Amino acid sequence: MTSTPVQSEPAAENSVSLRLANGPLAGPVLSRVVSMVLVRADCPMNRLDDAMILCDALSAHSPAHANDGHVAFAVVTDGRGIELRVGELSEQGAAKLLADAAVPGVGNVLERLSDELRIESSSTEHSREELVLTVRFG
Amino acid sequence: MTPATTTPDIELALPARAANIAVVRHAFGALGEAFAVEEQILSNIRLAVTEACTNVVVHAYPDGQEGLLEVLATLQEEKLVVVVRDGGPGIGPRPDSPGLGLGLPLIVSLTESVQLGRDEDERTEVRMTFPLSSASS
Repeated sequence: MTSTPVQSEPAAENSVSLRLANGPLAGPVLSRVVSMVLVRADCPMNRLDDAMILCDALSAHSPAHANDGHVAFAVVTDGRGIELRVGELSEQGAAKLLADAAVPGVGNVLERLSDELRIESSSTEHSREELVLTVRFG
Repeated sequence: MTPATTTPDIELALPARAANIAVVRHAFGALGEAFAVEEQILSNIRLAVTEACTNVVVHAYPDGQEGLLEVLATLQEEKLVVVVRDGGPGIGPRPDSPGLGLGLPLIVSLTESVQLGRDEDERTEVRMTFPLSSASS
């Protein structure tokens, strides 16, 4: 019996906005939302694993740089990758958050696992700048 | 409806699509991870929130039009208050409903209290209160 490989179309674009209070719920909620969005976007396991480590690093270090006890995340996927925006950070918070993710002997987790990383200025009510990470898988 | 006075611990906003109901449902599993909420209570919360989100996806927006599904959760002592809201026309009888009409009665049976109404921006909302332990119910 022969089989024809199925060429699937990239998953439809999806976007989730999250605003989480600092506390024990933030990490588990962020990881669960990002993992489910990635699964729906047919993300391969190795990149899903990378994204989970990124989420762990972000949820561990972002509370220290939150503006008012909350951190905002925007998760956007188009079936080829995921963009994760972290906002509502304090002055210079994005750079400090990035610096905090350095692990001795390993390097910076955020820099190593994301395909693209930048700090963007933001004009939203709660945020002056955002840390933007991209993980590609398509 | 009286708005919540405290800032929610979780605010989620996502397109009102069937696939995203699973995203919300999975997010609420974090309560078990973070606070060791009893399995039966967690199951009730997830089921009621799933029903409320399903109502938004099925009923809130006209066919072919995609709107926003918003879910807010606030921890208040031994309670959890969850608000599911949308930009649709509101909750009312619908003779052509594709469902069996069991969603709201199910939500009522799973929650400590439910309020249906509109927020200050005229968005439709279902406000559900759950006990977080059997001692607080």
